[in-house]
Amino acid sequence: MDTGESVRITLRSIRAHKLRSALTVIGVVIGIASVITFATFGASVEAEIVGDIETSNAGNIYVFGTPADDDDFDRTLQPVFTEYDIQQLERIAGVEAVLPRGIVQTQSIQHGDQTLARQQVTATRPASFTQNVLVEGRSFEADEEAVVVNERMAGSFSENLTAGERLTMTMPDGSERNVTVVGVVNGTRGEVPVSEFARQPRVYVPIDPFYDSVVESPSAGVRQRAYPQVTLVVDPRAIPETQSAIQTYLSGESDARSLSADDTELVARSGNDFVEEISDVIERITRFVTGIAVIALVVGAIGIANVMLVSVTERTREIGIMKAVGARNRDVMQVFLVEAALLGTLGSLLGVPLGLLVGYGATRYAEVTFSLAPLWMALAVGVGVLVGVVAGLYPAWRAARVDPIDALRYE
Amino acid sequence: MSESANTTVRVDGVSKQYDLGGTVMALDDVSLDLSAGSYTAVMGPSGSGKSTLLNLIGGLDTPSSGRVVVNGQDVSAASEAERADIRGTEVGFVFQTFNLMPRLSAVENVALPLVFDGWDRDRRRERAASLLSEVGLADRTDHVPSELSGGQRQRVAIARALSTDPALILADEPTGNVDTDTGAQILDLFDDLHAAGNTFLLVTHERHVAERAERIVHVEDGHIQSIEDVSGGQH
Ligand SMILES: Nc1ncnc2c1ncn2[C@@H]1O[C@H](COP(=O)(O)OP(=O)(O)OP(=O)(O)O)[C@@H](O)[C@H]1O
Ligand SMILES: [Mg+2]
Repeated sequence: MDTGESVRITLRSIRAHKLRSALTVIGVVIGIASVITFATFGASVEAEIVGDIETSNAGNIYVFGTPADDDDFDRTLQPVFTEYDIQQLERIAGVEAVLPRGIVQTQSIQHGDQTLARQQVTATRPASFTQNVLVEGRSFEADEEAVVVNERMAGSFSENLTAGERLTMTMPDGSERNVTVVGVVNGTRGEVPVSEFARQPRVYVPIDPFYDSVVESPSAGVRQRAYPQVTLVVDPRAIPETQSAIQTYLSGESDARSLSADDTELVARSGNDFVEEISDVIERITRFVTGIAVIALVVGAIGIANVMLVSVTERTREIGIMKAVGARNRDVMQVFLVEAALLGTLGSLLGVPLGLLVGYGATRYAEVTFSLAPLWMALAVGVGVLVGVVAGLYPAWRAARVDPIDALRYE
Repeated sequence: MSESANTTVRVDGVSKQYDLGGTVMALDDVSLDLSAGSYTAVMGPSGSGKSTLLNLIGGLDTPSSGRVVVNGQDVSAASEAERADIRGTEVGFVFQTFNLMPRLSAVENVALPLVFDGWDRDRRRERAASLLSEVGLADRTDHVPSELSGGQRQRVAIARALSTDPALILADEPTGNVDTDTGAQILDLFDDLHAAGNTFLLVTHERHVAERAERIVHVEDGHIQSIEDVSGGQH
């Protein structure tokens, strides 16, 4: 039987049951739209984060300790990377800069008559601020009583901080330090990639004279500064080699190794590693949530199957008529499969734009750039048609098996 | 067994048995030949097996035993798909309750057997339209059945039965659902179609309807009681 005719018969039947067909289609629309929404939103978030990291941090290698027990966050922040380690790391071929980071605790930070309590201050080297992260002013000098703030911090005060203004930092022991803001930045070289996404307010100070965590270096035999975390800027053309040389040093002779607990692993992770890890996590979350949305699609399919079974029963007599005038079983099957497939297709054709719209709204709400997930869209349409066909298979098979004599007698 | 080229239908020792709780012999060892161009009526009381006989000849049902041959094809031995083809091309059904597709127009209903016979759309429409004008419904081609009178619906059904130019037209109480005048018109149409060479097998329980045929087969309790020759009775 030619497809045109089965489509015609189907359209008449759908038109004769507009409300019922519309409700069935809505079931599929919701299923497809949820899948598309979550898939697009996930893809957008991933593209946003990965894009951020890739543009700024591909050539960074992050060095830190991870305790066997992941929850032991304090031990992650143990200052184990000594000045001696930093000198050794600087000698590794391919390393362009070593940027240690330490944490300076404060009770509060005041500007004018405004006080922000318990701000974490990061101690680092001037090399952390390249020309392209500076929004305003300059970097601090190595031993200057000066600070650099990021834009989020600058905006935390009712009157935006600008270069040249003064802050008062109250230290844990109650002493106060007056410092000048010399620059405003929109990030730092060697920042851990995820924090760029989080965009916390931050204050940066020079290591000297603010940071004073010291330990005895087992190799140098003297007490010297030590840091919980170090970022290395490496030659982007030699990331893998440099990364493994760094890893070799860390796992071998380093002070950090001797100072860390035995079950703490010292890792050198590249920006790309982070990208992969984060992508992986986001993808897994997206897949999980999308998987839940697929349940909605299954419900939509059940709706189609249900309506098709009702349709087969209602049209038993029509099936008998078709068979009496020469329809083979597969012709009858075709008529009902076309109807189911049409409902599924209609549902996905309406569901894709709706899903994109809601996905777009979600990205606007979350302030991430909207990106399409074309594969998922194609998949959703395919799945919509498939859902219709699969949901229609059993009802169509039932229709095909109807006995013509019983059907013609059916009232 | 030789089948003369002239024999359109041969029913040979056919029985049909239904097992529902008890056993019902709807037909019991029935034999009957219909020659090409003949017009035969089947009469008998309700439940005597008239419809069963018609359905077996038309390939809607299969006999429990015996053989049914239509236009050289053994319907009783045919597969389900083959019987579908026989229903579509070798026979045309006309039912008491019309049995038109409710959402298809008159012309689409008439063309339906041609759809399953693989005709293309333009040829289908053309053939269906010409058949509709042959049964006097040239001005009703695009009406759906609910917009037609009972007599008009039955004429659409007759046009549909003719669409594949079948060897045989099977009519089960075709005048049972229409008034006497309309019934007479339908029987007149049958006469015309018979005169044009079509073979008819018509089931009725009304004597005056049966008398329009050349022969009356009297069925009772699944048996053929007698075959009465009424040739020329009305004409
Ligand atoms: N599907 C079936 N299952 C069981 N018994 C059946 C079935 N179809 C027909 N019969 C029985 O077979 C017998 C013959 O039925 P049939 O329909 O051929 O009668 P009929 O002569 O056409 O009667 P009517 O004039 O009332 O239409 C009846 O006794 C009927 O009950
Ligand atoms: Mg009957």
